[in-house]
Amino acid sequence: MSLLDLLALLPVLILVFAATTILMVGAWYKEPRPLIAGGILTALLAALAAGMVAPPVSEIAGLFSAGGYARFFTILWSLLAAAGLMLGGRFVEDKKIGAGEYVSLLLYGAAGMALLSSATHLLGLFLALETFTLVFYILIACNRDCEFAAEAGLKYLLMGAVATGFMAFGIALIYASTGSLALPDAVTQLTTVSGELHAWGLLGWGMILIAVGFKISLAPFHLWTPDVYQGAPAPVAALLATGSKGAVVAALVGMLAVSGPIWRDLVDLIWLLAALTMLVGAFSALAQKNLKRLLAYSSVTHMGTLLVGLLCQTSEGLAATTFYVVVYVVASFGAFAVIASLADKRGEPMSFDDLRGLGYRHPLRCAVLVLLLLSLAGLPGTAGFMAKFTIFHAALQSGYIALVVIGVFASVVSFAFYLRVAMLLFQSDKPASTWHVGSPLEHAVLAVCSSAVLVLGLFPGVLFDLIGRLLP
Amino acid sequence: MTELTSLPQFPWLSLLVVLPLAGALLCLMHRKRPADCRALSLATSLAVFGVALYLFICHGQGEGRWLLYEDVSWIERYGARYVLALDGIALLMVLLTSFMQVSAVLLAWRVERHVSSFFALLLLLEAGLMGIFLAYDLVLFYLFWEVALIPMFFLISVWGGANRRQAALKFFLYTLVGSFFMLIAIIALYQIHGAQSGVYSFVIGDLLQTQLTAAQEGWLFAGFMAAFIVKSPLVPFHTWLTDALTESPAAGSLDLTGLLLKTGIYGLIRVAFPLFPNATESFLPILAVFALVGLFHAAWSAYHQDDIKRLLAYSSISHLGLVVLGLAAWQLTAWEGSILLMVTHGITTGALFVLVALIQERTGTRSMKELGGLWGQTPCLGFLFLLFSLASLGLPGLANFAGEILVLLGTFQQHPFWAVIALLGVVFAAAYMLRLVQGVLWGPVYKERSLPDLTLREWIILLPMAILVVWMGVYPEPFLAPMHGTVASLLAGGLP
Repeated sequence: MSLLDLLALLPVLILVFAATTILMVGAWYKEPRPLIAGGILTALLAALAAGMVAPPVSEIAGLFSAGGYARFFTILWSLLAAAGLMLGGRFVEDKKIGAGEYVSLLLYGAAGMALLSSATHLLGLFLALETFTLVFYILIACNRDCEFAAEAGLKYLLMGAVATGFMAFGIALIYASTGSLALPDAVTQLTTVSGELHAWGLLGWGMILIAVGFKISLAPFHLWTPDVYQGAPAPVAALLATGSKGAVVAALVGMLAVSGPIWRDLVDLIWLLAALTMLVGAFSALAQKNLKRLLAYSSVTHMGTLLVGLLCQTSEGLAATTFYVVVYVVASFGAFAVIASLADKRGEPMSFDDLRGLGYRHPLRCAVLVLLLLSLAGLPGTAGFMAKFTIFHAALQSGYIALVVIGVFASVVSFAFYLRVAMLLFQSDKPASTWHVGSPLEHAVLAVCSSAVLVLGLFPGVLFDLIGRLLP
Repeated sequence: MTELTSLPQFPWLSLLVVLPLAGALLCLMHRKRPADCRALSLATSLAVFGVALYLFICHGQGEGRWLLYEDVSWIERYGARYVLALDGIALLMVLLTSFMQVSAVLLAWRVERHVSSFFALLLLLEAGLMGIFLAYDLVLFYLFWEVALIPMFFLISVWGGANRRQAALKFFLYTLVGSFFMLIAIIALYQIHGAQSGVYSFVIGDLLQTQLTAAQEGWLFAGFMAAFIVKSPLVPFHTWLTDALTESPAAGSLDLTGLLLKTGIYGLIRVAFPLFPNATESFLPILAVFALVGLFHAAWSAYHQDDIKRLLAYSSISHLGLVVLGLAAWQLTAWEGSILLMVTHGITTGALFVLVALIQERTGTRSMKELGGLWGQTPCLGFLFLLFSLASLGLPGLANFAGEILVLLGTFQQHPFWAVIALLGVVFAAAYMLRLVQGVLWGPVYKERSLPDLTLREWIILLPMAILVVWMGVYPEPFLAPMHGTVASLLAGGLP
């Protein structure tokens, strides 16, 4: 690794070094606020570095790309980490959790996600994935007051371990059949080998797909999702639902863009996974009585929709998927942020009983929540519509008409459960109890999320063009 | 297509959309001051009405396909543009919308709960409706189409009657399912057109030139029809409407019946028919069957209602059956009649919904069993109720008659048989409307109670409507004049 490589790696280095420093400092210095402020500044600095410092090389050590696409996601995940820290401040103070640990873990997580989105080598993919998974093992279980937290942590650990196993085995199989782990070689070689080796290679990709299925909770590998989201503190669940999934999808998009159609032989399987995920997610969400669980299933349907975009394997489909990732991340993160900002000493308002009539106690934040939910549902005028529109557009172009019909059907179902929450919030049978007023930082996050949803919904052109230019 | 003037003109059409939006935002900012919100929404809706009147008077007689046309680049990557286009039919709908909106705001004057949100939603609804009536780009059209659902959803689910939540969800999901089919059809049509011409565009004017095979045209047409038929609503898909209308707050019912229902039929006229002329041609007889079945079924159901709001809901569906029949006849007179009937029905039924709300306010009931003898107790209210009921059943000299007779005349020229059946349906209308009048106004007084007669505010709402109802019945020409050209060109552009 040369000095130039290091310069290209600058944003990640900033995150990692600052995280380590904050962890050290946090061991002696217990005041949470300065530590969190330091973390936020670091994350913003990393985003700035990714945006301003042009990398001198196009690939880092043969493992990670330093192209525009990778930098775009580095910026996104850094900003997300900053937002996660803004949300987490009050939680850390209230629950007396070591601020140094919390901040540094979040920054490590962001570094992992940034690396994952820029992986061009299966080994890089594996390493980056494990980096942030490890972070989440700890973060999910960090709330020792919550009875569900330990359960959630354990569930995520077990599922994560299984996924890691699949991933490692899959990578090994691919290596055995193609002799390469670098993309696009690992793909292109596969088309040249035949017979048994070809089959092993395909099996390897299938296993990677299963591991991905666990990570981004595709049905039938999604069962951990609602329990974990329910148990994890809202600021962590927000990151888990958005960053950890978005980074995996971004990595897949990057891989597909570099190496062409990986999945030619797996198309039917992915088709099935996508259809199943969209339907299972939507219908399971209908039965929920808890907002966090509902958001978990909503994320399941969204991952199904994203898979439709990935399935197209055209540049149109990949651009649509990328756009969708950004929009989903903003809206879903915002929804969790509303929960986090309302949380107080009693915990987080998430059961439907807590939400009933809450719109009259906290009108502004509940209105924001409704807006974000409607964006997740895909109401025209919000970013969610444009995202779904582009995905379906790409899918129709590639001829997946049946899948689009299924997706549209799942969207209709999802409107039903999102609207139920909206109705619940503005139901006035009995007065709701009052929750926390929220800190200015939390309000700032909400303001950014809701305005992003509106702006991207009405003027999506800017982001479309940017993504079109960035895709490798 | 006509050549368009490239001179920069004042964006009147955008103003129609933006004004209510701005009003809604201002309302939300003055959450603590309900009185200001009321005044603000009244001012906004009056301003919009002013703009609409100005357009009617100054731009109503233009030559060519479009009276006004605004075209701005929007999402370039996908060829979606911000296109608003005003033709004669749109002009009438805009005028109707802005007029009804003023009434709706006045009607909602006494809403006590969450005033600012109520008015904000009402104004948002107006913005959405204006958008639907003006948009000439399919993405933009779809956007407004869905955006108009949200305020209505909340108006019903928060301020509605006892079953409000169920009704609101039903309303939303029914129309949503329909419109998602439309969305798929929109994208598919866009791609077919793009692949053919190399120009990817969502502007309806561009898409008109698409060459479609019969199968493609049939499927795409079906997608659009799914949205429009549910919204209109034609009979097997009408159950959402009766619930929504019954549970909705007064101002909501007014907007729903007067305006939102018209968007379905408007979509047929403006989008589905011109885009798919061949499919339309083969579908017209089926449409007529839908219309006639709806006309009778709804009239029959209306006759058996006890809840007067429900009765009016069914009467709306019945009337819309007649409107659709006129369209299915594909004849100039019938079309003009249909469009006129759409407008007059909006006013008469809207007024009746207002009166029902007033009656409910006074007596606390909508059941005919617990009403009766209002003629003696509240003579002014009784008189107006009678006037609008008679207008609604199509008494000559009042508004609906003009539209109905044109529809029947036009239909008779093309398909005498249809017209004869429809005429029977109109007789049915007389039956249920007279039953309504009898149950509410005449008959024995249900209970001696002192009921206040119309207040000044209520007069202000109803008097303009009453004047219009008489005017449009006696001399509908000013309202027919602007749409002659548009209807003729639409009919010519459709069937060979």
